[in-house]
Amino acid sequence: MKKRKYYLAALIPFLILVTLFEILPLIMVIIRSFMPENAVGLTLAHYAHIFSTRLYQQAVINSVLVSAVSSVIGIAVAYLGAKAVYEGGPLLKHFFKTVLSLTSNFAGIPLAFAYIILLGKVGVLVLWGKMAGISALSDFNLYSIRGLLIVYIYFQIPLATLLMIPSFDAIRREWKESVSIMGGSSFTFWTKVGLPALRPAILGTISVLFANALAAYATAYALLQNNFSLIPIRLSEQFVGDITQHKEFGSALAVVLMVLMVALILINDAILKKGPLLSRSSRKNKEDES
Amino acid sequence: MKRSKSGPVTVVVVSLYLLIPLLMTLVYSVFSKWSDILPEGFTLKYYWELFSDASFGVSLMRTVLISVMPIILTALVVLLAMYVIILYLPGLEKYIRILCTIPYAIQGVILAVSVLSLYSNAPGILSNRTLLLTGTYCVAILPYMYQGIQSSLLAVNAPRLIEAAQMLGAGRLYAFFRVVVPNILSGVIISAMLSASIIFGDFVIANTLGGNYFETAQIYLYQTLFASGQKTSAVIMVLFLLTLFISLIAFSLKKKERRQG
Repeated sequence: MKKRKYYLAALIPFLILVTLFEILPLIMVIIRSFMPENAVGLTLAHYAHIFSTRLYQQAVINSVLVSAVSSVIGIAVAYLGAKAVYEGGPLLKHFFKTVLSLTSNFAGIPLAFAYIILLGKVGVLVLWGKMAGISALSDFNLYSIRGLLIVYIYFQIPLATLLMIPSFDAIRREWKESVSIMGGSSFTFWTKVGLPALRPAILGTISVLFANALAAYATAYALLQNNFSLIPIRLSEQFVGDITQHKEFGSALAVVLMVLMVALILINDAILKKGPLLSRSSRKNKEDES
Repeated sequence: MKRSKSGPVTVVVVSLYLLIPLLMTLVYSVFSKWSDILPEGFTLKYYWELFSDASFGVSLMRTVLISVMPIILTALVVLLAMYVIILYLPGLEKYIRILCTIPYAIQGVILAVSVLSLYSNAPGILSNRTLLLTGTYCVAILPYMYQGIQSSLLAVNAPRLIEAAQMLGAGRLYAFFRVVVPNILSGVIISAMLSASIIFGDFVIANTLGGNYFETAQIYLYQTLFASGQKTSAVIMVLFLLTLFISLIAFSLKKKERRQG
């Protein structure tokens, strides 16, 4: 009888780790977000403050906007890229996948810096644009929402394409033959068969991209420091840095970001569960590639 | 038939778009001046400067250290937990899975500030920044480590393997750690490499929890960002090549595993 209990000890390290660095911090952040600053009690003031102050409203709007636009453009490029791989030979696939995995590691500060070299105030492309008289390049302002979008789109593309390429494997070549035998064009095939079959994979990938952009911090911080309102930026400055810290208010911001992330994960799960065709494969791919 | 042509064009255009910023950073790091159409003055002095800067070496060592510790810890902790689950309490698996998936939703900045606000004023060892950083990275890589270990255990059919070992007279503990674990090692190493590249690329957790207390290579990179452009690009290339090297190891292991499977 006694021996049967020894094995439980093997669970203890896991429980300690998860309790100390996952559960407790999480619970404390949620509790603290309802606490008034430097006092005891219960309040919704922090949440009210987020949604009534322009600075924080802007952070929520900007975060959602930048994430949404970069995800949609990212998925569009990924769709075209993965389709090209699907229709191309093994060499093309190998080459493209190498480029994608190479550049999927290029994110955060390094990516922001690369864009500063390219499109910053004295960036190379800006220089070339001035010489060639291309005002779209010479007047480009990297330190704006448009600049941020350009950089976000960059890091979405490799991730999105790596997630999309395996989903195309589920599109059987016979389907295409069937469509063409019945007189359908390639365009008909993709709009009537291909895209619907890929829909769960596309929606699932979009929610991964969205979450990816939503939580991104380093890229925006390296580019604009605290001068652009995004949730992660506003969140971090409540806890770190020179400004007076507002842990309770920061916790409310953290909860808002967390709710957005969880909502995306739940939507993703619902889509994958519902999607009859590619649900299994796209989930598996995510595990492979992530 | 038009499509067979547009495919490769798409691939080339997207590849160029992705590779140009990377190549520009490389070019920037080996030329002393770029204020005309083309860069001038090829030089490797920025790399030389970098490698003779002791604080860069130290920050790199810190990054390696702070990647290795959480990976080993997490691998051990998850393996021990999976041992109990497979052999004794299969019913607990879904709870472990949930606990290991939560960090997806609280990744990066959320996790970092949560840990910081809870422990920054804690008494004794709990406020030690290295400990906080290690623990937080453990949780940050938990989803990937768990995923890798769990799917490897599934792939080798661990319960059957243990049964077989037991029939041959091995104890449960022996069967798990001497028979099952060596069989899933390459799968575990792949997740470990993925985790390493995540920690190597992390700035927000390092900056929030480590900051000036524990300067990793990413913090060093951030500080050079405002000093010298060329030196920054040299730091970026060194870090990029290191990450690439790590992913290459994982990739070749994956290939080997697939061939065996």
